[in-house]
Amino acid sequence: MYILILFLPLLSAIVSGLFGRKIGTKGAGIFTSNCIIISFLLSCYMYYEIILNFSPAYIRLWRWFDSELFTTYFGLQFDNLTATMLIIITSISALVHIYSIGYMAGDPHIPRFMAYLSLFTFLMIVLVTSDNYLQLFIGWEGVGLCSYLLINFWLTRIKANKAAIKAMLINRVGDLGLVIALIMIFKEFGTLDFSIISSSLITFEINNNSLTIICLLLFIGAIGKSAQLGLHTWLPDAMEGPTPVSALIHAATMVTAGVFLIIRSSSLFECSSIALVVVTIIGALTAFFAATVGVVQNDLKKVIAYSTCSQLGYMVMVCGISGYSVGLFHLFNHAFFKALLFLSAGSIIHAVSDEQDMRKMGALIKTIPFTYIMILIGSLSLMGFPYLTGFYSKDLILELSFEKYYIILAFWLASSAAFLTAFYSIRLIYFTFIINSNAPKEVFLKIHESSKIILFPLALLAFGGIFLGYLGKEYFLSNIITPIMPNSIKLVPLFFSLSGAGLAYFLLCYQINTLDNKVFKKTYHVIYTFLNSAWQFNYVINHLIIKQIWKMGHVITYKLIDRGILEVIGPKGLSVVFVKLTQIISKLQSGLLFNYVLVIIIFTTFFISGFNIFKVM
Amino acid sequence: MYLEYLIIAIVLFILGVLGIVLNRSNLIIMLMSIELMLLAISLLFVINSILIDNLVGQIFTLMILTVAAAESAIGLAILVAYYRIRGTISIKSLNLLRG
Repeated sequence: MYILILFLPLLSAIVSGLFGRKIGTKGAGIFTSNCIIISFLLSCYMYYEIILNFSPAYIRLWRWFDSELFTTYFGLQFDNLTATMLIIITSISALVHIYSIGYMAGDPHIPRFMAYLSLFTFLMIVLVTSDNYLQLFIGWEGVGLCSYLLINFWLTRIKANKAAIKAMLINRVGDLGLVIALIMIFKEFGTLDFSIISSSLITFEINNNSLTIICLLLFIGAIGKSAQLGLHTWLPDAMEGPTPVSALIHAATMVTAGVFLIIRSSSLFECSSIALVVVTIIGALTAFFAATVGVVQNDLKKVIAYSTCSQLGYMVMVCGISGYSVGLFHLFNHAFFKALLFLSAGSIIHAVSDEQDMRKMGALIKTIPFTYIMILIGSLSLMGFPYLTGFYSKDLILELSFEKYYIILAFWLASSAAFLTAFYSIRLIYFTFIINSNAPKEVFLKIHESSKIILFPLALLAFGGIFLGYLGKEYFLSNIITPIMPNSIKLVPLFFSLSGAGLAYFLLCYQINTLDNKVFKKTYHVIYTFLNSAWQFNYVINHLIIKQIWKMGHVITYKLIDRGILEVIGPKGLSVVFVKLTQIISKLQSGLLFNYVLVIIIFTTFFISGFNIFKVM
Repeated sequence: MYLEYLIIAIVLFILGVLGIVLNRSNLIIMLMSIELMLLAISLLFVINSILIDNLVGQIFTLMILTVAAAESAIGLAILVAYYRIRGTISIKSLNLLRG
């Protein structure tokens, strides 16, 4: 039954991908959705067995690599972490599958789309159920590949192609770190199994420096996959794919893989304090950075993309201060309200004739109230509004980070991020729903609520967005000791969120009046441009790294080495030299009789006098 | 005394060689130079046959004279045929077979 959880998404991918022509667009949608739903139900049952009945399961399928000291099985490990991740992945994926039937209706390539979605789910399940790093790497690369295929789904658009290539390549940078980490782990531990590694950490003395290096390399992998600061630029561009894809990538699967890796390797990370500090700081910086950028984005989906980036920063930060279960809890909650936000955004985009720019929306509260309620629930949950899902994990993350006095910076960065999160959430709602409409008349007249098949997953996710935090907190946080701190500090995140929301509402209502001062206007413009272009990360990376590498590739490897040194030493140079040499030699035969005679006489003289010319040479 | 004859013969031979190498214009001069070289060699044979008191050298000389006569006859015949076709006996124009 446990293998069936893996097998069903694979089956649905194969059937939909290879036989999509046979089963048709409708059949593909229904078949894949049902497969994933069954997979979800099975993982619910598995959750009951593993977590509620305390019976983790290990399944060894077959021997995979077997050479001397290195033996790796293709094995499945179903423990608490895996069960939780499976619930997230299968539930969100099932809802996204159902949603896609409605959202992608009319697209001629639905079987392909469904096949990719199912393959994505399958590889993500492979990632979370593996019992060793090598098998995890299959899933790790696989979700990268599927993200490429999905972002690139509308492959006639050049922008989608570029974004997909970018996502793939930036992920590769992180994957390289992971590969090196795997090699280092094998060198130090002689195995790649999670269980053996964590047990050998207790019994054997492992060199502390190499542990730090392993952790940092693993973290580089997580940076790439989870879009932390530095390798985050692929995430906003990944918005080129269809909206359900964004929901899947950003809520449940792809980006959570990095956090999952950190949580899975928690025993390693606990042995290296340096790595933990790095993880915390990078996470906090990401949370802050992405929140500031999210404030000024005008693309509906990009706002949510940056908020994903920011929330991932929270998760990574709390993993850095050893609150792995809180990180997992936030991952769990975030999956639901982020999927809700993305799918609602898809519903809005669907309603306004595929317009993604927030500035061309407005007044949708009258026309699509259901979606408004959904996105409001999602946003409030994201802001950590008390008693909604986001509150339980986000507040705790902030409190835990306050406890670590040596990196109190993280607390303040994350709190400011909470402030900004509230700001951009309210801004998004204000621009799309409340402000007077800016849409063209022909678009405005056609605005309508989406079909039931789109709204149904939203309703379920809204349920998750409201209640799951409350329901899950007993399970997730049972081993967390809530830090003791003054009440004033405890209220800081809430205060920040509320003031951010209030400020956003206030500023947006009175925007015109405050922008009179010229100096203020100019600084505002500079800051706005800086933030709107995401701190110029793309510019800096393109100019300082990518262009240099391209130039190096052209000038050094292509011009100098390939077409230069290798050709001169190699075929072309040799042929030129030989042709010239033979030409010189054949010119000796001039056709003139007296020259021949001279040559004959010279060599005869040599011969008679016993002078061997070849011996001299 | 024999040494002087030897030197004369060698000088004659070298003159014949130079006549072939340095001569750029006339085929007849070339043939004459070949004759000269053959004569120089005949002379060498004769001198050496006297010097070592052996008849084989003189027999060889006779042979060489016959060969030289035949060779010059054939050479002149070729020359005449060549002249008929090309209308000139310059060596410089004899360079159709270049490498």
